[in-house]
Amino acid sequence: MNQRSSNLLDEALGLDQVIEPWPLRGRVVAIEDQVETSGSFVLHHLLKRSLSPNSSNVTIFIAFSQPFSHYDRILRKLGCNLVSQRDNSRFFFFDMLKLQCPDGDEGITPEGGLIALYGKIHKTISALPEISWKNVSIIIDDLSLMEVAANGSSDYVLDFLHYCRTLTSEFDCSLITLNHEDIYSSEDRPTFFIQMEYLADILIKAEPLATGLATDVHGQLTVSNKGRNKVSNFHFKVKENVVECFYPGRS
Amino acid sequence: MAAAKTRTSTFSRNLSTAPPSHGPGLKCGPNGTVFLSSGIPDLDKILGGGFPLGSLVMVMEDAEAPHHMLLLRNFMAQGLVLGQHLLYSSPARDPRGFLGTLPSPAASKDDKSRERDPDQEKGLRIAWQYKKYFGENQLDGQRDGKHEYSNEFDLRKPLERHFINGPRIDCVSIQDSDLSTLRDRCATFLSQFPRNDGSISCAGRIAIQSFCAPQCAYSNMEWDMLSFIRSLKSMVRSSNSVAIVTFPPSLLSPSFCKRWQHMADTLLSVKAIQDEDKELAQLLTGYQDMVGFLNVHKVARINTQVPVILEATTFSIKLQKRRYLVLECLNQAPVDGSSGTSYGTSGGCSSSSKTGNLDF
Amino acid sequence: MAESIYRALRDGALEGELAPALTIKDSVASPFALQVFSHVISQLFSSILAGKSQSRGLVVVSFSRSPSFYLDLLKNKGTDVASSNKQIQILDCYSDPLGWKDQLAGSRNFTALSNEAMVSSNAIVFREVKHMDKLYNSIIELGKGLVGGGKIRFSIAIDSADEMLRHAPVSSVARLLSNLRSHDQISSIFWLLHSDLHEARVTAVLEYLSSIVASLEPSHQLANGQRGDLENFSLIKHNSKKGKFHVRFKKRNGRVRVMSEEVHIEQSGINFASLPSEGAINQGLVPKVQFSLQLSEKERIDKANVVLPFEHQGNGKPIQIYDGRRSLVDSKHERPVSAVENVQTNENCGSGEIIYYRDSDDEMPDSDEDPDDDLDI
Repeated sequence: MNQRSSNLLDEALGLDQVIEPWPLRGRVVAIEDQVETSGSFVLHHLLKRSLSPNSSNVTIFIAFSQPFSHYDRILRKLGCNLVSQRDNSRFFFFDMLKLQCPDGDEGITPEGGLIALYGKIHKTISALPEISWKNVSIIIDDLSLMEVAANGSSDYVLDFLHYCRTLTSEFDCSLITLNHEDIYSSEDRPTFFIQMEYLADILIKAEPLATGLATDVHGQLTVSNKGRNKVSNFHFKVKENVVECFYPGRS
Repeated sequence: MAAAKTRTSTFSRNLSTAPPSHGPGLKCGPNGTVFLSSGIPDLDKILGGGFPLGSLVMVMEDAEAPHHMLLLRNFMAQGLVLGQHLLYSSPARDPRGFLGTLPSPAASKDDKSRERDPDQEKGLRIAWQYKKYFGENQLDGQRDGKHEYSNEFDLRKPLERHFINGPRIDCVSIQDSDLSTLRDRCATFLSQFPRNDGSISCAGRIAIQSFCAPQCAYSNMEWDMLSFIRSLKSMVRSSNSVAIVTFPPSLLSPSFCKRWQHMADTLLSVKAIQDEDKELAQLLTGYQDMVGFLNVHKVARINTQVPVILEATTFSIKLQKRRYLVLECLNQAPVDGSSGTSYGTSGGCSSSSKTGNLDF
Repeated sequence: MAESIYRALRDGALEGELAPALTIKDSVASPFALQVFSHVISQLFSSILAGKSQSRGLVVVSFSRSPSFYLDLLKNKGTDVASSNKQIQILDCYSDPLGWKDQLAGSRNFTALSNEAMVSSNAIVFREVKHMDKLYNSIIELGKGLVGGGKIRFSIAIDSADEMLRHAPVSSVARLLSNLRSHDQISSIFWLLHSDLHEARVTAVLEYLSSIVASLEPSHQLANGQRGDLENFSLIKHNSKKGKFHVRFKKRNGRVRVMSEEVHIEQSGINFASLPSEGAINQGLVPKVQFSLQLSEKERIDKANVVLPFEHQGNGKPIQIYDGRRSLVDSKHERPVSAVENVQTNENCGSGEIIYYRDSDDEMPDSDEDPDDDLDI
C-alpha cells in the first residue's frame, strides 16, 4: 500500500523498477523548493531509498541545515535507522552547521572551507571498496546555506559543485542537492540558480498549489528527467512514514 | 478548537503519558520536542503548543506599526516570570529601558474566574501569584502537582521590578556593536543551556529586535547578517533555548528577505490595520477591537517532515479590554454570535466578540 | 539546413582570413545546445576521419563534460577512438580546473584515482583555467601535436564558454577566442554558450566574435508569473521535446542569411526538421489585423486536446454519444443563472474543454430538444 502510493515519484525518478544498480548513478539531481512548500521530504525519500535494505548504496550527507538528530528521527519514522547505517559505514554524516569559510580570496586554501570538504568527500569515497563506488549518493542540504557559509561567494560554491560533479563521472556516484527557488526569483540574472539547472540531469520542483495549501494536498511536484526526456507533474501529501503522490483530483 | 487538529501525525506522542520531567514553563511536544510558551496563550495554541526548544522564530515587522513589540514583550515577560534566562538585544542605545515596558501576568491560566467575573479586582490574586515565583518557584510548581507553562499578561500593568533586575538578564545594544560581538554574547548566553538527553531544568530565551535596523553599523552587510543568523540558528539548535528575531523586511533586498525567511523555523509576520476603514469594518466583525493582523507563514518542523497546515493563517490581534492580547481567526460579517472564537477562550466561548458587540 | 553549418566548419578558413567561428547558444527554457554541440562534433569529426575536411585534427576543450563523455560519443558513432589519437585530443579542463586535487594531493594522502589513465592517450588535464594565456598555449600545443607544424589546420571545440567566463574576465576570454580565430593553423572553431547565465553584453561579445550564431529557443514561450498551473505544464512538456533552431550566417559578401528549423530531442540524439511554414513568415512585415485569424501554438494544442462529444475514446469503454439531454442535466447541477457556462466534454481534466460565452441572456441554455429531431433517417 505504502509502496504503491509513492510510486509516482519513484517512477518519475526511475526508481520504481530496480534499485540495484542505483538508477541515479552518474546523475545530478536538483531539488528546488519555496518558503511555502518545503522540498526536504524529497531528500528524505531519496535517502530512504538509497539506504533501503535491498541495495548496497552508500550515502554521504552534507548537512548545512539540520543536526543529525533531526534527520535521524525523520528517517526512523520512514523505517530507516541512520545510526545503525552509520555504524555499517553506509551512511556518512558531515555536520556543516558551523562551517564558516574564511573571508576573502586568501580563505580559499586546501586547509579550510569547501576545498577541505571536497577532500573529505573524496577520501570517504576512495576508502570504500571499489564495487560500491557507483552506488554512492552525495546529498547536500542545502545550497543556499552553503552560499552563506562561503560568505556569499557563489562562484566558490559552483567550483565546489563542479568538483562534486567530477565525482559523478569519476566514480559514477550521484549528487543530490536542495535549493530554494524563490530566493533567486527576484534576481535579474540568477546565475547560480540557472547554472544548477543546467548541471542537473533531473530537476524536481516543489511548489504550492495555485489555490494555496490544504490539509490533503501539500503541494505539487514537477519532475523533469532530462536523461529519459520525460516530464511529470503530480500532487503530494507528506506524512510521517510516507509521501503520497497522486495526480490532481485523485486524492 | 481548530488548533487542536493541527498536528495529525501518525507518530505523535501521547502527551498525557509523556514523562514531564522538565522545569517550569516547559512542556513536551510531538517528535521529542519540548515547547516553551510565546507568552500569548492564543499563539501557543495556534502553533500547536508553543515554540519548540532549539528553534529560531522570525517575525517580519510592519514598517508602520509596532506589533512585533507586543510579541516580544509577552515572549520576554513570560520567560522572566518563569525564571528563565533572557538575552535581549535591540538597536536602542540602552536596551534595558525596554524591560520597563514588559507586562505583568494577569491571572493564572487555569483560573477561569477571569472569564466569569472579568471586572473583579485582581490585586489579591496577583499577590498570590507573586508569592509563587519568589525563589523556590520550582518547588511550588511541583507541590501543586502541575506545571506552570504560560500566563496571560495584562499589558497595562508593568512587570514587578524584581523580575527585571535579576542577574538572569543580559542586554546588548546592536547599534554600535558589530556582529561578532553579538555572536559571542549569544554563544556565552547559550552555553548555559547545553542540550543533553535527560530532563531540562532551565531554558533560555533570546530576543533580538529589529535586527537589520538601518541605524546598525552592519545593516548594509547582507551576507554578514545572514551568516550571523545562520550561526545563531545552529547555536540555538544545540541548546535548550528559543531565539526570536524581528526584522523589517522592506529594508532587505527581496532575495535576501527570502533567504531570511528560509532560515526561520517558525515564521510570523505582523501587519497594521488601517484606521477607520469603512469597508473593512463592514467586512470583519470586531473591527473596532483589532489593532492589527498576525500571519503565520511557517510553523517549526523539528524532527519531522510533515508540514503543519493551519486552518487559518491570518489572525486579528485584539487588545481585549485594552489589557489582554488575544488572537482570533478572521470572521467575515455577517456572523452569528457563536463564531469568532478566540483561541484563548475556547471554554468560555468568545467572550471577547460578545463584549465587543455589547459595547456598540 | 543544419547541414550548412557543418559545411561551413568543414570547409574551414580561407588563406589570410579569420577562421569560421560558431556560437551555439541556448537558455534554460530550451537547454539543448549541448546536444547540438555534440552533433556538430561528431559530424565534423567523421569528415576529418574521412579526410573530407580542411582540418586534419580536432581539439576539444572540455569544461563542462568529462573527456570520456566525448570519447563515448564518438565511439557510439562508430569511430575507433583509441586508434584516432592522431585526429582528436581533449584538453581536460573538467577534471581539475582549479588544481584542487593537486593541492589536496600535496597536503594529504589524497589518491587521485580516476579514469584519467584510461583516456590518457586522448586527453591531458589542464589545471589553471584562470590563466587564459596558458590555456591558449596549451590549445595550440595540442593542435600542433596533432597535425604538426606548417600549414596543416585543425579545428577547436570549446564546451563551454560559460565556464571560461566564470573564471576569467570577458576581455581575456574574447582575446583568447579572437587570437585562436586568427591563428593560421586553425580551420574552424565553435563553442557552447548558455546565454541566460550572462549579461546581454557578454552574449553580444561572443556573437560579435563569431561568424555563425546558432540559437535554440523554446517552441512555446512560457508566460512569466503564472507558474505551477497545468497549462504551463503542458508547454513545459512540449518544450522538453523540441525547440526552435535559428541560425544567422554572416556571409562574406556582407549579407546575413537567416534560417530556422525545428529540433526534436530524442533519446538517441537530435533530429532537425523544417519548421511549419507560418513560422518562416517575417512577422514584422505582415500587416496587423483587428481580429486573429490564426491560432497561436498553445491554442492549437488546446484545440487538439478537446475531445468532441461524438468522438469516442476507443479505450474499451462503451461509446458515449451525445444525446442532447445530458448537458442540461449537468447544467442543472451547476448554477443555471450564470452567463458563462462551462461545457465539460469529457471527464479527464486537463485534456481540453470548450468554454463558450452566451451572446445574450435571451439565448436559451441548451434545450432538451433533440438537435437531430428534424433528421429523416
